[in-house]
Amino acid sequence: MDRLESFFLKRYLKNSKRNLFRFSFVFMVLGIVLSVGILSAGLNLFQGYETNLKSLLLDSFSHISIQSAYGDMISPTELTRIKGSLADRPEIISLTASLESSLIAQTDAKIRAVNLRAYDFSEEFPYARYISEGSYDLKSKELIVGHYLAEELGLVIGDTIDLSYPRLDRITPLGIQNNHSSHTVAAIYRSGYYESDRSIVISTLEDARNLLMLSDGYSKIEIRLTDADKAALFSREYTHIIGRDYVAISWDLYAQSLLRLVAMEKWLIFIVFSFLVIIAGINVISAVSTIIIDKTREIAVLKTLGAKARSIKKIFLWQVGLIALLAVIGGQILGILLSWFVEMQSFYRLKGEVYFIDTLTADITWTNLALVFVVANLLIFACIHLPLKQIEDMQIIDIIRQRN
Amino acid sequence: MVLSAKHLKKSYIDSDQTITVLTDASLDVCSGDFICITGKSGCGKSTMLHIMGLLDAPDDGELWIGEKKVDSLSSDAPKIRNQDLGFVFQFHYLVEDLCATDNVALPLLIAGKSESEARNRANELLVHLGLGQRLKRFPNQLSGGEQQRVSLARALVNKPKIVLADEPTGNLDPLHSSEVWDMMKSLNKELNQAFVIVTHDAEADERADVVYELVDGVLIRK
Repeated sequence: MDRLESFFLKRYLKNSKRNLFRFSFVFMVLGIVLSVGILSAGLNLFQGYETNLKSLLLDSFSHISIQSAYGDMISPTELTRIKGSLADRPEIISLTASLESSLIAQTDAKIRAVNLRAYDFSEEFPYARYISEGSYDLKSKELIVGHYLAEELGLVIGDTIDLSYPRLDRITPLGIQNNHSSHTVAAIYRSGYYESDRSIVISTLEDARNLLMLSDGYSKIEIRLTDADKAALFSREYTHIIGRDYVAISWDLYAQSLLRLVAMEKWLIFIVFSFLVIIAGINVISAVSTIIIDKTREIAVLKTLGAKARSIKKIFLWQVGLIALLAVIGGQILGILLSWFVEMQSFYRLKGEVYFIDTLTADITWTNLALVFVVANLLIFACIHLPLKQIEDMQIIDIIRQRN
Repeated sequence: MVLSAKHLKKSYIDSDQTITVLTDASLDVCSGDFICITGKSGCGKSTMLHIMGLLDAPDDGELWIGEKKVDSLSSDAPKIRNQDLGFVFQFHYLVEDLCATDNVALPLLIAGKSESEARNRANELLVHLGLGQRLKRFPNQLSGGEQQRVSLARALVNKPKIVLADEPTGNLDPLHSSEVWDMMKSLNKELNQAFVIVTHDAEADERADVVYELVDGVLIRK
């Protein structure tokens, strides 16, 4: 900024009341604040959705699961061996053996297919934080039931639910013979990941083995890592370490495409909402054109006194640019407030069956704030610059003759 | 010689008609000259002044400022207007948003002088022109005569080689008009400042060292 520009900017700010509250500027500022606010809020909410979904995916499932390559159970001896071979890995937070199977759950009136997971509750239960009601310290014949499954079956804590395991080895003329077992609901599990919350039932290993008629063994080993993003890399290493009879499968094998889709949607929304800023830019072009018409005489005076067109353009660029900059910051604050409001409100919830998760959360990151700031300012400054080109073409003599 | 206009020609096209206002206008201005150009309305006096001030380009002819041949379309024209020329117009053309001091300081700021230096020099000049009590006033708070004096101060602040004034008293009553003539004349004597004034004012004959009349596009010394 040279001396002439800073001189005018200071005088402009000194008379800020008169200069900032021009009629044409009010709509320009409103347009920028609203468009940047919507862009910002949209990005914050989509970022929140992406972060939340990823976090739930990573929290609700193991980062790496080790299973038999041939679909066999993992024996306690093998479990001890595998645990031993991975014992010195610093990236592993927890290593939990579990039993998993598909079953049929039944109450007096309703029946649903469910996914049974069984853990050894004498060890650490990796999903304890998702217990929304009751206690996860399960005793024999007690169950943890997913939130939406409980809703669908009309279950509350203390209710009884029957689990059936269809035995395909016992097909009789009367149909498939099932193993039955009655359980009491001891806790409700709510991760926020809809698919999991509507199908999961968790029991003790002993109850699960009785129902599934297994003497011992586990269907898989669930590993949680310090950095889930490195799961693919470590899973390849673990496959080599534990031997060819087992496979280590990374979480991203089944969830990465979903996350990529969500990320792509986020950037599409960003591009679409950026068009709102361009529309607000039309107001900017109009406001700058108006101010140039208002100040034609002053422009002629400055040119007569020897100011170059470039220097005069910069005077206007700084003056309008400063307002636009403040409007962009105002828009970003509005965006944060909008995101906060959407997060806090309770009258609209996401449909879990469509969007996987049922809560809207905003994630305000410095990167996204900087991105919106840069993109909005670039677009707005381009819109300021466009009408300023007129100054170059203005002939002093034409303006003086018009007045005379 | 501070300015020399040689054989200037200028014509305009107005509704398919070519109107020639300058056919062969020449003028030499030396330091300390106080020259008035008179003539009928529309004869081309202002055009002559605009060409001398590098605000307009002649169709033909040459313009020299000091030892340098100049051209209104050249890239250094703004610098020449800032350093070597001062302008006073019929309508004061002060910047409405700036006070008297700031208006006068503008040419110095454009020349790259610091704000404090520019304001000090502007204040000195305004005090010298009897506007010491009006430094912080905005143009709309000044009388017509005061506005024109501020405009005169702005023209002089960069110590130009020549001040070009286009009907400087054209918008003033006789009293204020006389004040402005007195002021220009005293500055001319005191600072040895060259003035070229285009005017209709009858006082021109009494005040000017030399009066030229523009007749049929040619300047004739009266």
